[in-house]
Amino acid sequence: MNGVTIIAKREYMARIKSKAFWLGTVAIPVLMAAWAILPSLILSKTKAEQRLAVVDRTETLSQGLADQLGGLAERTSNRVAFEIVDIDTSLPDDQLRVDLDRRVLDEEINAWVWIGADALESGTVEYHAESLSNFITQSALERALSRVARRERFSRAGYDAAAIEELSDSINLETVKVSEDGSQEEGGFGGFALAVGLFIILYTTTLIYGQQVMLGVLDEKSSRVVEVLASSVTPFELLTGKLAGIGMIGLTQLSIWLLTAILLTAPGLVAAVSFIPTGVNLPTISLAIGVHFILLFLLGYFLYSSFYAMVGSAFNNPQEAQQLASLAVIFIVLPWFFFMPVLNDPDSTLAVVTSLIPPFTPSLMMLRIATKAPPLWQVLLGYVLTTGTCFGMLWLSSRVYRVGILMYGKKPTFKELWRWIRYA
Amino acid sequence: MNASIELVNLRKAYGKFLAVNDLSLTVPAGTVFGLLGPNGAGKTTTIRMMMDIIAPDSGEVRFSSRPRTRADLERVGYLPEERGLYRKMTVFDHLVFLGELHGVARRASAPEITDWLDRVGLADAGKKKIEELSKGMQQKVQLIGTLLHDPEIVILDEPFSGLDPINQGLFKDVLAEYRRRGKTILFSTHVMEQAEKLCDALALISGGKVILSGGMQEIKNRYGGLAYRLVASGDLDGLAEVEGIESSGLHDGYARMLLSENTDPAELLRRLVEAYDVQEFRSDAPTLEEIFIAAVGEATAGEATGFQP
Repeated sequence: MNGVTIIAKREYMARIKSKAFWLGTVAIPVLMAAWAILPSLILSKTKAEQRLAVVDRTETLSQGLADQLGGLAERTSNRVAFEIVDIDTSLPDDQLRVDLDRRVLDEEINAWVWIGADALESGTVEYHAESLSNFITQSALERALSRVARRERFSRAGYDAAAIEELSDSINLETVKVSEDGSQEEGGFGGFALAVGLFIILYTTTLIYGQQVMLGVLDEKSSRVVEVLASSVTPFELLTGKLAGIGMIGLTQLSIWLLTAILLTAPGLVAAVSFIPTGVNLPTISLAIGVHFILLFLLGYFLYSSFYAMVGSAFNNPQEAQQLASLAVIFIVLPWFFFMPVLNDPDSTLAVVTSLIPPFTPSLMMLRIATKAPPLWQVLLGYVLTTGTCFGMLWLSSRVYRVGILMYGKKPTFKELWRWIRYA
Repeated sequence: MNASIELVNLRKAYGKFLAVNDLSLTVPAGTVFGLLGPNGAGKTTTIRMMMDIIAPDSGEVRFSSRPRTRADLERVGYLPEERGLYRKMTVFDHLVFLGELHGVARRASAPEITDWLDRVGLADAGKKKIEELSKGMQQKVQLIGTLLHDPEIVILDEPFSGLDPINQGLFKDVLAEYRRRGKTILFSTHVMEQAEKLCDALALISGGKVILSGGMQEIKNRYGGLAYRLVASGDLDGLAEVEGIESSGLHDGYARMLLSENTDPAELLRRLVEAYDVQEFRSDAPTLEEIFIAAVGEATAGEATGFQP
């Protein structure tokens, strides 16, 4: 066995045996799923309650509104339970407004709605409440009011409101993805979830394993193990062995996730367990996407972890290293800003250009490949540019690393780091 | 197989600071060699250059009269001054790892590791993590890691610093055993008494230069190692006439004699007992520390070393 293999094997075995690895392997997908599902789950289970007073100066809309809001309660997707409170509306307007405000402050009602005499013409209705951040309630109310107003306007113009409502049913898009290997039907949501999922996994694993490399280097340095190793392996062997060992751990973890995902979404199993509601199309991971995913993970990992190794070797503890390490975080996080535009139009100039910038290629090219296969030349160019940058970073890192691991004491300045790089 | 170490005109500067300045020395095969000097003398830099951890600016390291290669380092057991172990690894796994780094496969090293752990009283610690061990136990593991591959050359940088008395004893026993087996041992220290007891030969370095080197006895002789002190009744004026005494001088209550070379002190004592009523006869040689101070004084008279002019 040569030095690189021995170091890589040690890194791999030390981690695969640790509880932290297995905890992370289980916890990360669980947390991700929870993050994706829980908010909407919680929202769908909880219903806002809204006690409402309605003043209708048009004299024609309040009954329709009451019917609409009452009808809402029967729908499962409804998230707000409205209750209309009877009040005496015979008071003069000024007095009535003051009275209603008092009722809100006394928490007798949550809000009151003022439908002015010209509401149908002006298209506005007032909503008064103590808190105005309840967007879900407001939009539900708005939709109900709109329907009622629309129906009233149709009637006044002499149309059959019920017939028109039936005729103006909305249309749902049934999405079918077209690809080289024959078209296949696929839910838009499934494709979206796959792209987002792969993007997030690439971005988190790059960050996590990069940081692990940095902490590993710092630990070897501060515990002085590196002094013992330095006589048996060259700094370059030590660096590449470490990157290889931790990279293999990353691949192991991704493989576990991928296999689990493939198993869980296998048609037979899904049918058997059927815990997924019918009508939701699960994303299928094609072989090509899987291969790109692994390759892009490796590129992103080597690019960032060699940077992290350089930072780790230059400083004495994580606190000192944080400043420079946060530079990597910025580059890893930046693709988030291009995430939506790229997803929406994977062939736009913005998408093409950003996905070819090496620090962004791993995550953004993955996003493009998962949404719509980009032209081959762009994919290849992305690979070539990023591989080149990887080697450049590895070279730079090894220059700093070989000096840094044996340097203790004061934090080096950028000038000193530059001198280390230029040493023979 | 015996291996010697030669350092030829080694030089290493850190910026303006000249850590090692044209240093040459020879460590003969099969000797215990002490690299002595105060802190900052350049001992660690010299050793790191021997181990190819840092490259010299100029000069050469040779093992057994050939330029040292990376492969040669597999036959060296090296214990750095600053040393550590992976805290989360078990003792056994860690030792297997260190063995592998020196080209010993697990199958070959496993029984050796068990023997060593038995020998140092850590037979039950194999499955424990390093972080669960006391500092003294970690030092033992470190020593095993250095010697597990049965090296021809053992290089120890300040091996006794931070050792508890029990481990000091253990380290010395192991060094004695390696010496008997004809291995070449080099260690650095700034504690002269240790060197005096353990070394066959030594080099004193200061300011990155060798200021004195050679066999222990030779150096002692050179710096008054042949001086003896005699307390006896009788007329001591005629001492210089006695065979084997080069010169003598009377002091308050005793006589100081300089023996001529090749004189056996035991033989001399027998002759003295016949002529005088001897009460005390002992060596009056300077300690290594005294020699060191004298030598540094001679070498640096007036000039500051270590910095380039």
